Amino acid sequence: MQHLVHCLGILVLVVNAVMASEEASLESRRDFFERRVRPVLIEHCFKCHGRNNKAQNGLWVDNRNSLLKGGISGPSILPGKPEESLLIAAILRQADDVKSMPPDKPLPQKALESLIQWVRDGAYWPDASPSLVNEQTGREPATNLWSLLPWTVSEVPSVVATTWPTNGIDCFILSRLERQQLKPVADAGRRTMLRRVYFDLTGLPPTRSRVEAFLANRSPDRFERLVDRLLASPQFGERWGRHWLDVVRFAESSGKECNFTYPHAWPYRNYVIDSLNADKPYDRFLHEQLAGDLLPADPAANGDELQVATGFLAIGSKRHNAKPTEFMADIVDDQIDVTMRAFLGLTVACARCHDHKIDPIPQTDYYALAGIFQSTEPLYGTSKTKLNKNPGELVPIGADGHGKHEAAEKHEQLIKKTSAQLDAKKKDLLPQNEEPSKSAELSNGNLVECLKTEVAELEADLQRLKENRPTRPLYSTGARDRKTPADARIAIRGDPDVLGAEVPRGFLSCLRVTSTDLPPPEQSGRLELARWLTHPDNPLTARVMVNRIWHHLFGNGLVGTVDNFGSLGNMPSHPQLLDWLATAFVRQDWSTKGIIRSVVLSRSYRLNSRAAADTDGSVVSNAQAKDPSNKLLWRMPIRHLEVEAIRDAMLKTSGKLDTGRPQSSSVTALGDRLVRDIPLDELQPPSRYRSVYLPVIRDYLPVMFEQFDFPSPDLVSGRRSATIVPLQDLFLQNDPQVRNLAHAAANQLVPEQTDDAKLQDVFLRVLSRPPTDDERRDALAYLEHARATVRDGANVEVEVKTWGGLFHVLFRTAEFRCLVDID
Amino acid sequence: MTDFGNRNISRRQWLQVSSSTFGSLVLASLVGDIARAGSGPLAARLTHHAQRAKRVIFLFMNGGPSQMDLLDYKPGLNERDGQAGRNDGRELMGSPWKFARHGKAGLWFSELLPHLAGQADHLCIIHSMQTDSSSHPQAVPLLHTGSFQFTRPSLGSWVLHGLGSENSHLPGFMTVNPTRIFGGPSNYGSAFLPTAYQATRIGWEKKSLRDAQVANAVPPAADSIADANLRLTQSLNRKLLERHPSNQPIQGLIDSLTLSSRMQETIPHLMDLATETKETLDLYGIDQKPTDNFARQCLLARRFVESGVRFVQLTHHGWDLHSNLPHLVDRCREVDQPVAALLADLHRRGLLDDTLVVWTGEFGREPEAQADHKDRAAGRDHNAKGFCLWMAGGGVRSGFSYGKTDELGFEAVENKVHLHDLHATILHLLGLDHTQLTFRYSGRDFRLTDVHGQVVHNIIA
Repeated sequence: MQHLVHCLGILVLVVNAVMASEEASLESRRDFFERRVRPVLIEHCFKCHGRNNKAQNGLWVDNRNSLLKGGISGPSILPGKPEESLLIAAILRQADDVKSMPPDKPLPQKALESLIQWVRDGAYWPDASPSLVNEQTGREPATNLWSLLPWTVSEVPSVVATTWPTNGIDCFILSRLERQQLKPVADAGRRTMLRRVYFDLTGLPPTRSRVEAFLANRSPDRFERLVDRLLASPQFGERWGRHWLDVVRFAESSGKECNFTYPHAWPYRNYVIDSLNADKPYDRFLHEQLAGDLLPADPAANGDELQVATGFLAIGSKRHNAKPTEFMADIVDDQIDVTMRAFLGLTVACARCHDHKIDPIPQTDYYALAGIFQSTEPLYGTSKTKLNKNPGELVPIGADGHGKHEAAEKHEQLIKKTSAQLDAKKKDLLPQNEEPSKSAELSNGNLVECLKTEVAELEADLQRLKENRPTRPLYSTGARDRKTPADARIAIRGDPDVLGAEVPRGFLSCLRVTSTDLPPPEQSGRLELARWLTHPDNPLTARVMVNRIWHHLFGNGLVGTVDNFGSLGNMPSHPQLLDWLATAFVRQDWSTKGIIRSVVLSRSYRLNSRAAADTDGSVVSNAQAKDPSNKLLWRMPIRHLEVEAIRDAMLKTSGKLDTGRPQSSSVTALGDRLVRDIPLDELQPPSRYRSVYLPVIRDYLPVMFEQFDFPSPDLVSGRRSATIVPLQDLFLQNDPQVRNLAHAAANQLVPEQTDDAKLQDVFLRVLSRPPTDDERRDALAYLEHARATVRDGANVEVEVKTWGGLFHVLFRTAEFRCLVDID
Repeated sequence: MTDFGNRNISRRQWLQVSSSTFGSLVLASLVGDIARAGSGPLAARLTHHAQRAKRVIFLFMNGGPSQMDLLDYKPGLNERDGQAGRNDGRELMGSPWKFARHGKAGLWFSELLPHLAGQADHLCIIHSMQTDSSSHPQAVPLLHTGSFQFTRPSLGSWVLHGLGSENSHLPGFMTVNPTRIFGGPSNYGSAFLPTAYQATRIGWEKKSLRDAQVANAVPPAADSIADANLRLTQSLNRKLLERHPSNQPIQGLIDSLTLSSRMQETIPHLMDLATETKETLDLYGIDQKPTDNFARQCLLARRFVESGVRFVQLTHHGWDLHSNLPHLVDRCREVDQPVAALLADLHRRGLLDDTLVVWTGEFGREPEAQADHKDRAAGRDHNAKGFCLWMAGGGVRSGFSYGKTDELGFEAVENKVHLHDLHATILHLLGLDHTQLTFRYSGRDFRLTDVHGQVVHNIIA
């Protein structure tokens, strides 16, 4: 490039003279660009590097961003430095290492001068938003995306039926219905409400005695009190924690081609459950998961908790056999994806290889975030093996975790050392020892004896050391800052081995907040990212979370695409309500339980699920005709219960549910292993704990989970699919554990009672309601038939099988698998 | 995004498309199911264009079969046996087995595949396959899902997403003896597609299929109260439906129970090979060593597709012969007769015309000797740049050979077919446009072929 620098010197002088009078004002720079630069680019470069063509060598010249990023050879322009810009080298046709451009004939002198001057003056481009036109689609990104706009602060709307609403939520719902001349259906019955709120808040059905106590209670605030009691119960966190674990792709193995166990992922699971039970403010919850290790900690009180929280960053699926650069790039991608989708509902990971095709997220934003996560070391454990090129560390937790860890490591070193010494001595003893001097020594009987004694002593030492390994602490996954945080460079087309320009660490350019701290040089910037996410100017974080809550209580979010608030996501059905809830959420110190409580106590949540005429025929069928998908929420939709709720309800009904919490996870005992080497029954041992505590081993979920729409733990899943396929019923019908539970349930009945009384009991236990007359008749006929069929042993056995059969029948019903109206 | 929800076919259309395929099965009862299962995730759907294949049997030879010893005849390589190869210190190794032409078109087969050679006139052999990775952990998920970097739905799941199931009393996607390694279950998983599109598994790789079952699809004991259970359950369900008229989830559950009880009868019946004639059992090589296990897989595959399973995946292991190339004899003995029988059997039952059979490894092998073990015979290393597969039926040209590798067999040089092209072509034969078969997830519309894939029209009859 020596020639180039020389030529430039001369040219720049010339150009300087020409341009001396040019004012550097915005006006003149725009003018200069439009008259002298754009025409040159269009005439001479667009043919091969324009957006309607396949970009040659990955270079587009139709916007500044693309030029800054460059093609496969790296950045095309360095603003202010024409002598270091590849574009200039190419058009000067003087460099050996850069292809001359345009290939056919040189640019006219004037065009040449214009481009050099333009780069030298900072390569001004009008409308310098990060990305002018999407490179691949040629579409303008949505700059007015609704979800990025500030909250609209609305008054609660007025309604005609003023006596209907119980709180603000209802006014928003009702006013929309009234505008369409629609009315909500009638309230659900008391049993229905009881079952609904039990499952929604705790994932468990009410016991028979709870049902009866609730029905007997006549105080006006009995429902409110019930809601408060359920919100305060430990089962609440087990239910809502699982919702969050879906979103953050929690699992206890790496998945992918070589699936390694993660025996120490469980503390994060418990952390999530405990945080929800404690109603930890959501902004705090977010800060801890992204940057707990960087928050001030009181080692005695919450030191472990803050470390464990960052397991969020470590539990993604990983290709442990990948080469380290790829491995790290994929982890960073997973962290960007989960962080941005879980908290913001934005699919930022789309911008790994190119600017986001639809949303206003340039590739530079992706790498601004990538710098933050590249400066972060995920701690996920595993050990180095042939198939695992990328083992990681772990966080010791519990009382004196670090001390115990160090003692244990020191002890292992000692074992290793002793073992090496022993091996050496043993080798010396071998008669065929090749070193002549040693062999000579060995002929000396005394020396042999001496060596033998030493070997014996070392063997004893080793034995003692192995028998007295100090207790290891508990471990957790987590994350910490790397020693030297650094900005990331753009990976051209997402290839981590082809790097372009460096991008300063930062956040999304489409969401500007006032006075936020940027990542400091000495830290990764996760803490600043967390603060930016929860900044009052950032409207998305609260919107996304209140929408997740709504989704779980109504079966649909106000924004249906709960993980995507971008242009390809749904528009909100009730935008003002969404913002009203979001502002209330922030105002109430980001209390998750507070929002859940408001929603559950609304009249809208109390509606029944009937679609057709039952109370006010004309109006309801009007709603059915006008809004068949119930978008305006004129009723409560029938909802499928999730697999956890179905399993836990069967366990609870049978009296077999262990409501405690397992010590750790069954994966912990398996240790660091390749999942494929572990027998299936060890991967999923029988358990009576709640389903949230079953091991989530990627690709090896419990059979029932696979059949009943448990989401892939490789993926962020705020919304589960709800499918009905025959294999689900085959499971309920034939799985031995389900049958055993049905029989166990039958064992709880009072043998002395009449069939009629028992029948009442069975229905109340399983469905929280007595049988209707028709059902009673059918069931009694069934019992008679069953008794005759199973009569093959002692009477007790016959009764258990008969009544177990009835429980089993009820476990298979639509009423048991769905939340429906029961009264 | 393509809205497949509106492509449910009418009962009449369904009768038209299926009447040729079901043979002796009782149509009337199935049609009723299809009509009622119309709104479910597995409801049959219309295609993008006319389909040539209605179903697929995908035979996965785990490890990467050695093409120059089986189907890619390389006399030039044999001549230069022992000369220096391309890679450091490795010598070219000719095939120790004899090749001969078979069938009307004179396709080349090695002597290791005598039975398959007898089916030459059904085969379309692609000699110029390429994939993106020559290491198993990447190549296996690539073959099955089109990606190793990201968790993506498997080929069979995409097919179910596009076409729905051809039946309602059996799963739409079955996998028999799949591998637990290199992605394991994700090779037949549904990723972000609804879980209803994942495969139903029977057995595991390396395990005998003799006693394998579909989990929970066991026939009820003779003295059981299963019938009474179903009757009472459905009566309760129907009463619930009366309380919630025209309610989709409840109606769907009622239908699914009807189907599950039928499935429970059908699956064990299908798994029971005793209803086959001795001639058929012998044709496949059942109860004979060493063919028994793969013969059972192949016969099951025929029985499944005959009953309307849309996609059947069979896995056979042991093709990764870095040393001991002579063991290829054993692998071929295990699969040759069963796959040939499968083709013959499908053909004589009129099923081959609209059933696509695909036989492939995740990649092929190098023409050089790999002699890393002193005490073992040499083998061959992985090769992603050139490998061989064959297809049959389902609208592909028969007795046809496509593409070429170089003289020695290092890489494809003529009419290269990339794995994504294979996927695009399989979907095309099924009546699906691989650029239109999308699913919106995480803010974009995903495809099996991502941004790649060209349909190989030249191999289509």
